Amino acid sequence: MRAVPVSGDVHDLSPEQFYEEVHSFEFWFQAVEGYLSGLTWGHRPQTADPTLPAADRERLITILCNYCVGETAALDGASGLVAIAPNRLAKVFLSTQVVDEGRHLEVFFHRLRELGVADPEAEVERRASRSLLLFRRRLLELVGSKDWEAAIFAQNVILESLEFAVFHSHAEGADPVTAEILRNVIKDERRHIGFGENELGRRLANAPHIRARLGQTKRELDHLVLDALADTARLIGLPSGEDERLSRMYLGSVERLGFVL
Amino acid sequence: MSDFLSAYSIQNWLESCPQGYLMATVYGHDPDEREIALICDNPVLREDAIRTTVQLVVGERCALSASSGLINAAPDEASKRFLATQTLDEARHVEIFTHRLYDLGVRKEDLESTIRHHANPNLVRFAEVLLEKVDRKDFIAGVVGQNIVLEGMAFSVFEMMYALNQQMNPKFAHTLSGTIADERRHVGFGENRIGSLIRLHPEQKPAIEKMQKDMSYYMLATFADAFKQTQAIDELERIGQEQPHAQYQGVDLGEASPQQMEAVLADTVLKEFKTRLGRIGIEYQTPAHP
Repeated sequence: MRAVPVSGDVHDLSPEQFYEEVHSFEFWFQAVEGYLSGLTWGHRPQTADPTLPAADRERLITILCNYCVGETAALDGASGLVAIAPNRLAKVFLSTQVVDEGRHLEVFFHRLRELGVADPEAEVERRASRSLLLFRRRLLELVGSKDWEAAIFAQNVILESLEFAVFHSHAEGADPVTAEILRNVIKDERRHIGFGENELGRRLANAPHIRARLGQTKRELDHLVLDALADTARLIGLPSGEDERLSRMYLGSVERLGFVL
Repeated sequence: MSDFLSAYSIQNWLESCPQGYLMATVYGHDPDEREIALICDNPVLREDAIRTTVQLVVGERCALSASSGLINAAPDEASKRFLATQTLDEARHVEIFTHRLYDLGVRKEDLESTIRHHANPNLVRFAEVLLEKVDRKDFIAGVVGQNIVLEGMAFSVFEMMYALNQQMNPKFAHTLSGTIADERRHVGFGENRIGSLIRLHPEQKPAIEKMQKDMSYYMLATFADAFKQTQAIDELERIGQEQPHAQYQGVDLGEASPQQMEAVLADTVLKEFKTRLGRIGIEYQTPAHP
């Protein structure tokens, strides 16, 4: 049976029971059921979808294409991490992340189709940002080298923090359907960031030398992330100077997780 | 191709699986269902249930590694997304069968040693043949090995176990019924997606046929080992517990000998392989008899 304590709060569980609970399919299902139930392709079917002006539509297509690059990187990265995860609970959690990332990719593809893109896969290839493609390649190299700490850092801290900052800003000014899709994606990202923070936090406490290696990974990836942020801020149409705020938001997210490297 | 793959979308999966047949279940069964006292209170039957469940965990761990490993090798986004749902299905199966081990009294700290102790070496070798293909990012061979051979075997084994447990052990039967529904989807994807890829890459057929032959051999060897273990049947006879007269492929499992049960299972799985491989243009290879 599930080890939910009398108080109903998982934080009252012993550490071992806590991980058994929060890294389970059951926990994932209870979490997503709350906000995905009744949605179709990531949003409520009745949400208004007004026709966008041509220039706005064009910009949104480019943004969504780059979200697809990020989500494909996240899907490939998370699935590769299942193989190198150090224990069963991490494997099960990452499997829930795999399906989350697959869902994000699917809802962004579907949104592209709603916007009139006939072949989203070809469009993504055509409009993909170079920085994001490089980031994806480097992430998969880290996963391929079976470097668990560096790969989980790149995937569940850097990439997820980047997506969190961008989606959050974009949702504030996006059309109703896109905003709703983004807000539901953000709810998943919070869980992924939580896993990365928890997993790495414990490892850093037990082996502080890992910090230097993660610092090197962060320095290597930061410029790709910041380039991608600047591109996206321009496309979202943020006012001048707002791209710096977005960059600070990303760096702040990473720092808040305790990774001042 | 994209029309067919749209049936395997995450949206459909969410509606049919977590929000469909898994609704209101906990670790795959109703919250108030329990392992039966007959098994939990009898050391011989409990040991046999643990040994059987370990094989399920081993098979599902292999399926989890294979489906997650194939995502990176998938040639299109829709296949990646289907494999994402399969990855979570397989992780759920690992989780629910692991929890059955806990329900049967295996302590968490003894989980890995229990699995090592009971894992059938032939099943481990079966998994290794498949995972070698996945490690090489061989998508076509990986999907045939995973979604037709491994899932085809799992589907028939689960159906037989479901028939055996439906009356005696509703909790375990309920757990199995959800996995059977999942496996049915996985087998369907393998057949539908791979046929077109094999037509594009006929040069890969000989290697795939050899893989099927090797995996089939280790599968038959696993069945042979499993049905040689007659302690549970002997114990049921000793305590005067009648076996349920469940039907599987026209055979009364309450009357059949272990050899007859092994034969009907092997025959069913191999016939399924032949039919499904034929549909994707692969010639079934008869394995050596272990």
